[in-house]
Amino acid sequence: MRDALRRVSLGYLVLAATAVAYLVVYTSRLGRFPTSFDYLSILNTTLPLVFVAIGQSLVVLTGGIDLSVGGVVSLCVAVTAATASIPWIFAVLALGTACGALNGLVVAYGRIAPILTTLATLSIFSGLALRVLPAPGGSIPYPVRQVLTNPAAPTGLIWLGLAVAGWLVLRRTRFGMRVYAVGSDESSARAVGVPAAAVKLKVYALSGLCGALAAVFYVSTTTAGDANAGTPFILTSIASVVVGGVAFSGGRGSALGAVAGAVALTLVIDILFFAGIDPLYQSLFQGLFLVVAVLLGTVFVRRRRLS
Amino acid sequence: MTLDSPGARRVLYALAGTVAVLVVGAILHPGFASWSSLRGMLVVASFTGFVAAGQMLVVLVGGIDLSIPWVLNGAAIVLTTASLGQTSRAPVAILLALGVGALVGLGNGLGVAWLGVPAVVMTLGMNGVMQGLTLGLSKGLTCASCGSYAPSPLRSLFSGALPAQLFLWVGVGLFMTVLLTLTTFGRRVYAVGVNPTAAFLSGVGVRGVTVALYTLSGVFAALAGIALVAYGGQPSLGLGDPYLFESIAAVVVGGVSILGGRGHYLGVIAGSLTLVAVTTFLAAQRVPEYGRLVIYGLVILAILFAYGREKAHD
Repeated sequence: MRDALRRVSLGYLVLAATAVAYLVVYTSRLGRFPTSFDYLSILNTTLPLVFVAIGQSLVVLTGGIDLSVGGVVSLCVAVTAATASIPWIFAVLALGTACGALNGLVVAYGRIAPILTTLATLSIFSGLALRVLPAPGGSIPYPVRQVLTNPAAPTGLIWLGLAVAGWLVLRRTRFGMRVYAVGSDESSARAVGVPAAAVKLKVYALSGLCGALAAVFYVSTTTAGDANAGTPFILTSIASVVVGGVAFSGGRGSALGAVAGAVALTLVIDILFFAGIDPLYQSLFQGLFLVVAVLLGTVFVRRRRLS
Repeated sequence: MTLDSPGARRVLYALAGTVAVLVVGAILHPGFASWSSLRGMLVVASFTGFVAAGQMLVVLVGGIDLSIPWVLNGAAIVLTTASLGQTSRAPVAILLALGVGALVGLGNGLGVAWLGVPAVVMTLGMNGVMQGLTLGLSKGLTCASCGSYAPSPLRSLFSGALPAQLFLWVGVGLFMTVLLTLTTFGRRVYAVGVNPTAAFLSGVGVRGVTVALYTLSGVFAALAGIALVAYGGQPSLGLGDPYLFESIAAVVVGGVSILGGRGHYLGVIAGSLTLVAVTTFLAAQRVPEYGRLVIYGLVILAILFAYGREKAHD
């Protein structure tokens, strides 16, 4: 438990450091503090990744990995943008959950390694996305946009708050405890009567739901859809989870850390932009950021253990 | 390795899968199994075979290499920009490209084995670093020497009637088989894959083995980059992107356990061929792209259900 606390605080430390770096680079470059418009644009661009990162962290907490988030987001973006109606948004949430549940069934009851299962379903979901929306386009109803990612008011804060609150509640339920139990030691969890397969099924379904939510927010921010929209989320969601201090071995960390990691990763892109770094070098610094954050994390944890 | 050992059985399953796909393809699509069609498939499969060789080595010790796409792409661009298409510069350019791969692989290995960074994080970060360096240094592939082609002898070697990558693939196959089954190093690799602690306690230099394997993976990714650019003439950006998941799929379809410690390169060759045969067949049937992606995923799932399942919990 104390170890979990340390790992969570790593995500917050990284976020605090990047936020300070953002403020320093921004003010020294533009000679003024960021405006509310800047904060709003960060909030709205980071929301999709925040949702995917929450889903990914749940899966990683059970010791798995979900590569199919890319496909789920693509498929849900395609359906949301192609239908562009409010009832369909609820159907999209159900669709995402179903995709996730399919992963869960194969992983938990088919006993196929998570990385392989989700690799195969990634291909399937991406194919379906291409079927629904062969060319980029589509739209989103105006009221949805006003409610989800209003370009003039921070409505996104409500949804971010709800996501965080949802995790805090989930963490304290019996299901939340079981997620950690399965991730820490699956055979012990089984031995004390935790239905490990059912827990995994739910976790993957939740990851699918998070992917669908991310997709709706993505279309709401960009006001259009693209059948390949989800692909970047595979690696960025894993990076958020890692920076957020969730252990790949499972059972340690928190979705809140992953949220912090997701915001930090979005800030890094803004820092690079305001620092005037050639966008071509962007992924170089993102890669370094990832490795350095994790290295600092291991040093940090070791120090604390020694003291 | 006896014929009824689980390892040999998995190789046989993988080979049977390849034969099954080829036979079904030949029945449904006359000419699918003709020599020219087979040769085409072998050439395309060889690129997957090269990257999968590296991926297999790190998977054998329970690791994974996500840096393959941009190591491949970087090496391909190093080859053309260093050679400027001139024959006399070709040997140096090839060595440089392989050196880049080895260096990146070494970095991955040191990060994983000595600094204790999880393999997923280390290689994912390294992929970003290589992508940034490749894009930045080549200015998005618009630098003065970036329009260069691979040296012409190399190109004629790799796109002739009996292309060089087939011989190269046989060479890689022999190298991998000898390395893994006949050398002490190979035994150590399996020992580390089955149980790193037990291997360490019995005197295996676990860190050294890990670093060597990641280095080799980098070299194989660079080799695939060289082969691809020699085959296609000019490099492009994103050349390596399809090979990340393809290499993992080929390794697993080839019967290598993703948890480490089990698998043979003969199976991986079969796995690469199966994947390419499936995509070639779907393209020949004029299945649209979305259908190809869906069926590809379903085929991998079916193969996983056939022989990729983990043991039941008691």
